[in-house]
Amino acid sequence: MPGQNHSLGEFEELVLLIVAAHHNEAYGVLILENLEEKLQKKVNISAVHVALKRLEDKGFVRSRFGGITHDRGGRRKKLYSITALGKKVLDKQYALRTSLYQQIPKISFG
Amino acid sequence: MDSWECETLPQRREGAKENGLFDNAGLNMKKSPPKRALQFLRWFCREDYVEEIEGDLTEIFEKQYEVSPRAARLRFALNVIRYFRPAFMKSFKFFNPFAMGVLLRHNLILSLRSFMRYRMSFFINLCSLSVGLACALLIYLWVGDELSVDKFHEKDRNLYQVMYNQELANGIVTNGKTPGLLAAELAAEFPEIEYATTATWVEPRTLSVRDDYAIKAGGRYVSKDFFNTFTHPLLEGDKDHVIDDVSSIVLSESLCMRLFNTTTDVIGKQVVLDHEAPYQVTGIFKDVPPNSSWKFDFVMAYERFEKENDWARDWNSVGPYTYIVTREGVDIDLLNKKIVDFATPHRKEGKEISLFLARYSDNYLYGHYENGRATGGRIDYVILFSIIAVFILVIACINFMNLSTARATRRLKEIGVKKTLGASRKALAFQYLTEAILVSFFSLLVAVALVWALLPSFNVLTGKDMSLRFDPSAVLAVLGVTLLTGIFAGSYPALYLSGFNPVAVLKGKLRISVGEALARKGLVVFQFAISVVLIASVLIVFRQTQYVQNRNIGYDRDNLIFFLKEGRALTNPEALITEMKKIPGVINAAGLGHNLLAHTMGTEDVHWEGKMPGDEILFEYMFADYGMIETLGLEMKEGRAFSRDFVGDTTAVIFNETAIEYMGLSDPVGRIIMESGQPLQIIGVVKDFNFTSLHDGVKPLFVKLWPRYAWNIVARIDGSRQRETLRAIEDLYKSFNPGFVMDYKFLDQEYQALYAAEQRVSTLSRYFAGIAILISSMGLFGVASFTAERRMKEIGIRKILGSTSWGIVVLLTSDFTKMVLVAVAIALPVSYIISDRWLDSFAYRIKLEWWYFAVAGVAALLIAWFTVGLQTVKAAAVSMTRCLRMNE
Repeated sequence: MPGQNHSLGEFEELVLLIVAAHHNEAYGVLILENLEEKLQKKVNISAVHVALKRLEDKGFVRSRFGGITHDRGGRRKKLYSITALGKKVLDKQYALRTSLYQQIPKISFG
Repeated sequence: MDSWECETLPQRREGAKENGLFDNAGLNMKKSPPKRALQFLRWFCREDYVEEIEGDLTEIFEKQYEVSPRAARLRFALNVIRYFRPAFMKSFKFFNPFAMGVLLRHNLILSLRSFMRYRMSFFINLCSLSVGLACALLIYLWVGDELSVDKFHEKDRNLYQVMYNQELANGIVTNGKTPGLLAAELAAEFPEIEYATTATWVEPRTLSVRDDYAIKAGGRYVSKDFFNTFTHPLLEGDKDHVIDDVSSIVLSESLCMRLFNTTTDVIGKQVVLDHEAPYQVTGIFKDVPPNSSWKFDFVMAYERFEKENDWARDWNSVGPYTYIVTREGVDIDLLNKKIVDFATPHRKEGKEISLFLARYSDNYLYGHYENGRATGGRIDYVILFSIIAVFILVIACINFMNLSTARATRRLKEIGVKKTLGASRKALAFQYLTEAILVSFFSLLVAVALVWALLPSFNVLTGKDMSLRFDPSAVLAVLGVTLLTGIFAGSYPALYLSGFNPVAVLKGKLRISVGEALARKGLVVFQFAISVVLIASVLIVFRQTQYVQNRNIGYDRDNLIFFLKEGRALTNPEALITEMKKIPGVINAAGLGHNLLAHTMGTEDVHWEGKMPGDEILFEYMFADYGMIETLGLEMKEGRAFSRDFVGDTTAVIFNETAIEYMGLSDPVGRIIMESGQPLQIIGVVKDFNFTSLHDGVKPLFVKLWPRYAWNIVARIDGSRQRETLRAIEDLYKSFNPGFVMDYKFLDQEYQALYAAEQRVSTLSRYFAGIAILISSMGLFGVASFTAERRMKEIGIRKILGSTSWGIVVLLTSDFTKMVLVAVAIALPVSYIISDRWLDSFAYRIKLEWWYFAVAGVAALLIAWFTVGLQTVKAAAVSMTRCLRMNE
């Protein structure tokens, strides 16, 4: 992938996947809960935010403020959705992984 | 992206509206996250992130709260701390440069507009600040010049003068004059000393290169390492060997120009001193700079002085000055301890003396010694004037504060509207500060112009040669002071004006608290207190200087001239004095070996009947010629003056009353005393008269007849025929002593010059006091005019109800009268203490009378009344209908 800006760390990839999965509905806490559920371990919210900011800087996601909710002290949610570029990067990553995976000889680990 | 932003805008506003609602709701539920952590987050977090982060954290918090409130709170706080990292922090640039520029320009325009609108107060501010700054600038120049004296020598850090303390019966006497042999011996004994040199005082001498052309210039004898010790760069000659020869002379550049009209090829040429002694020019040094305490035009070899004066090789006599340069890194306290007893073993007859080292460049400012301790000197005046400068600036700043706050009532609406439109307190304070700083920089321009115009007269006043030089450090200092002045002057109004509650202001319900009113009154009181102190001091300094100058000093100082014996006048003074007496306007003339202005010479080697060991005291030594006592007009208490009718008068002595009293001799005339091993008979006692500065009292005096050593000729002339008498004396001198220039001086003028420092303080303090009062009353004028304006309606109503104009004047004036009275009450004790301390430095001082202070207080009150009266009378005379119609 050309340029550093298009690199994607493992954690970032996970966050991006979740954002993509919850298109237009993804926000900090939701992503956090999803991650914790899938990974089966504690994740810190600040890590999620850092990843989101980085993804946004790289242009893989974009954000907007959602409406008011009754919880969260009246603060608006920041909702993330994946961009076309983000999707492309995910696709490439997926293709790369799949092609590499398919090269694994069929060995039995009986 | 565009569509996203459009979408968010309306929502954002909606959100903001509901925000408050939910904040309250949250509070009611008591489920809100820890307040401190939240505040901290809001403080450091970037604005564009804070809402999202806060929201997410709160959501997590709320979910956890259901499980465990305590854990939730802890978790929240920890989480907040996790965000405390650069990626989430606000930018460190507090000011956006572009926004700053706009803000500044906006403030400048506003300031300029307000200057235009309130021309009167702008003018008063400008005047008082510029006068204040000009004073401060002048004093800054003067102080800088005083502090720079003698600091130009390259080895200044290690350059010391050797001085000594001598314990006498009437206290420790400190002397800068040392035995002539000291320098060479010290240098030989102590390896710590790099250079040591002996130098004499400066004496006027007659120099000539041709027979028909002679000029007078001041010269001193200096020993070998003089040019290594002091920095007087040589244009010609080698500084190690330039005065090796007894007949060498080193000229200053300007003296060389005057003698030879050139400075090239003069080395080796001959210069004749006093038309008898030929010298060879061996070098040329750069003119002594104005900030040198010793001023001289040429130097000669000290070796020659030693040859011509036997006493200079005697350890018991002191006269020349000894200067040393220590090697780098020498501990001066240690060296001081080593040298303290160095001279005593050499002095077989004289009393023991304790040598010590004083920094050469400190001597100018810290030259006063009392009982062996340095007790200041000129530095007192430097400090005094620095304080005055600060006070004058403060007074000017107070004007600004007072006017701005008084004017506040007129700017209330402006402030109210600005605040409602969202101006923060910071922005408003900043605007007022800009205004103050702008005024102070305008004032600086005016002040620099003022200083430039006044500097020549200030130079005359202070006897200095200063100029406005634009060296970077001075410019920086001046700009710094101006900026500080602006900030200081603007700080109070800025904080005061910007703190108004906009709602109250717009409703016109501004209440000035007691504290604020007190603060403003306090400022006026402070201003006037300083003014009163200054008025009182001026009065007292003036009276004291007058008293000193008109005091009866025991003889008539007027119409007394004196000049140095030179040439034939030195070899044959009798003939000259006889010829002079033949001139009709000359009443009397005689030789005198004393300068009558300051301590000249002394001896403690006097022995009398009944003297106990430890009774040593310094007698002032005066050489007299026949007729000296008559010429000065001294009165004899007992006995007679020297006379040719008595053969034995060369072994006679005359004491003054103080000396006789000290020695405790009853019936002194006819007694024999011993001086330097010689028996002398007391032939008379002269009534006490003053022969030093009036800072000191009359000291014991010892007068000996010794015409050869009486180096001056004094003459009393007829005051009504002064001009022709002087011309006749000059003509006589020219024919009697061809080739010499007669340089006579009037004793009374010299006597006045003796008090130059006091004179200067007197004159300067008069000016500065005037300025302080002027600035204070300008401020009072401004405040009074605003008060009158604000109370227009009240005045109108009062007049309608039958109040007279006079009643209104009294009403408006009484407030200020009270303030000035308080100021007077504070100032008088302060000025009493200050002036009493100053007067203590004089041996003869005026008594502090109550009326000095009364005059100062009444003067301040009158000035205040006059200033306020100008305004109030105008206000009271205004038509009542106009007052009432005025709709503010």
